[in-house]
Amino acid sequence: MPVGLLVRRLGQLHEDPAVVARWQAWMGPALARLTPRRRRSLLALGALYVAVRQPLREMVPGVGLAEPDGPVAAALIVLGCFLAVVAVYAAASRFASLPAAVRSRPQVALHAAFWALVTVAWVVPDGRGPGALALSGLVLALPFLLWRMGYLLMSGQRGRVAGSRFGDHLLYLYPAYGGTNTPYGKGLDHLSRHEAATDEALARSQLAGLKLLILAAIYNGLLALMAGLVYGDARSAWSRYGLGLPRLEQMLPASGTSWATAWTALYVTLLWDVLKLAARGHEIIGVLRLFGFNVFRNTYKPLLAPSIVEFWNRYYYYFKELLVEFFFFPTYVRRFRRSPRLRIFAATLAAAGFGNLYYHLLQRDDFVLSLEPATVGPWLLSRGFYCLALSLGIYLSMRREQSRRGAAAPPPSALTRVRRIAGVWTFFALLSIWAEDSVAGFGQRLSFFLALFGVR
Amino acid sequence: MRDAHRARLLEFLRTIQKPDQPLDAVAETDSLIEAGLIDSLALLEIVAFLEEQYRIDFAETGLEPDQLTSVSGILDLIEREGRA
Repeated sequence: MPVGLLVRRLGQLHEDPAVVARWQAWMGPALARLTPRRRRSLLALGALYVAVRQPLREMVPGVGLAEPDGPVAAALIVLGCFLAVVAVYAAASRFASLPAAVRSRPQVALHAAFWALVTVAWVVPDGRGPGALALSGLVLALPFLLWRMGYLLMSGQRGRVAGSRFGDHLLYLYPAYGGTNTPYGKGLDHLSRHEAATDEALARSQLAGLKLLILAAIYNGLLALMAGLVYGDARSAWSRYGLGLPRLEQMLPASGTSWATAWTALYVTLLWDVLKLAARGHEIIGVLRLFGFNVFRNTYKPLLAPSIVEFWNRYYYYFKELLVEFFFFPTYVRRFRRSPRLRIFAATLAAAGFGNLYYHLLQRDDFVLSLEPATVGPWLLSRGFYCLALSLGIYLSMRREQSRRGAAAPPPSALTRVRRIAGVWTFFALLSIWAEDSVAGFGQRLSFFLALFGVR
Repeated sequence: MRDAHRARLLEFLRTIQKPDQPLDAVAETDSLIEAGLIDSLALLEIVAFLEEQYRIDFAETGLEPDQLTSVSGILDLIEREGRA
């Protein structure tokens, strides 16, 4: 059997009826006991653990938990986060009776409430005591919940929360399957739509989950290999054979990097970032699928994407969905409806530009906690440029894709496809100069970019 | 009436299909995105089509992308919100 066909068949094992039937026979009693309600209850139990662990983990770097007032403050933070969740659930389940201003812009109201709290934390003088510590901890911990509470409100807006159990919403608000500020699997509406209702569907979902977990292990192995062989990471057993290529974040503030080294670093960073994101996403979605939520994977072969917009769809699916649902669609349905091009441009700028920047700003502890313009300013300039360039790239790519629609056409030749993929790699590799977490300022990043083309 | 809407919708979907994924035979409840027949970009064009042809105001009703990923979902929306 040709290797390509074998790989494809192995990749689709979870869809093979014989394999699914064998898994059902093997897991029979366990599958029968794991009813949807029990699976949800298990995740809700895990959520209670996350409800305590997550806020504390989020606040540890920024807030002094080791101080005498630490334990009381920690308890207040956990409680504060939980009360916020309960309040949003209450609002979502009585959505129709909320004030008109909140009903028309529920997400704006949610974020306004958060920023009101942040403003209080800025205004209240720094001091010891559990109250001051708890306030600081809360503003650091809440961004993890913000987008999840956003999905809860969105569900309320669609009239779907009234009949649901609070415990079911805890699944994604405090995800025991893991996650970042981005809700992998989105909210309960999306999870429910992809939930296995029969033993066979559960078996298929679990096999698909196992496949992702195996892929994640392979990617983690590749990352370890890359760390040693490419970066010469001292912790790796392979480091003595390593090339010792500097990391991009180290190269950006330095000068005199050779042209070839800089280009190599850019493409290697792209590969590293994709593998890392795919490994983490596969672990999270893999576990979700084991519990019967057969949702899309987070990363799906972005390095084979033939266009910028396709790469953006496949690279970090749940972040893209977050930007689309909270920024793109609301802008698209409200603004510039008589001008199709301007309409798409404005919505793209709102999502990939403003929404992207805002999302990352919420992750800046130094900004959320103490509004430090000296550190946030340079970051904002580089990240803002990145978001603007990304928005323009996505918009132009969308326009180009749209112009190709309508008529059935033969698939592009292999050469055309390779050329398109190389273009996408180069675009995102160059863009990473402005997104990379580094001490380098905008000017240093610009110098690095220009040096790639021989301009020094 | 639903048949007329379906014919009109399918005619429109053919104008936005992916070039290498012809929309020949599609079950009404199939997810067009999962089947690879359209992508998220096409959703925008479906929204514009529904606004223009059926005067559905998504700013008023809210936009739920999952409603627009199958022919039956779109037809249900037309029957519920359409004004043409």
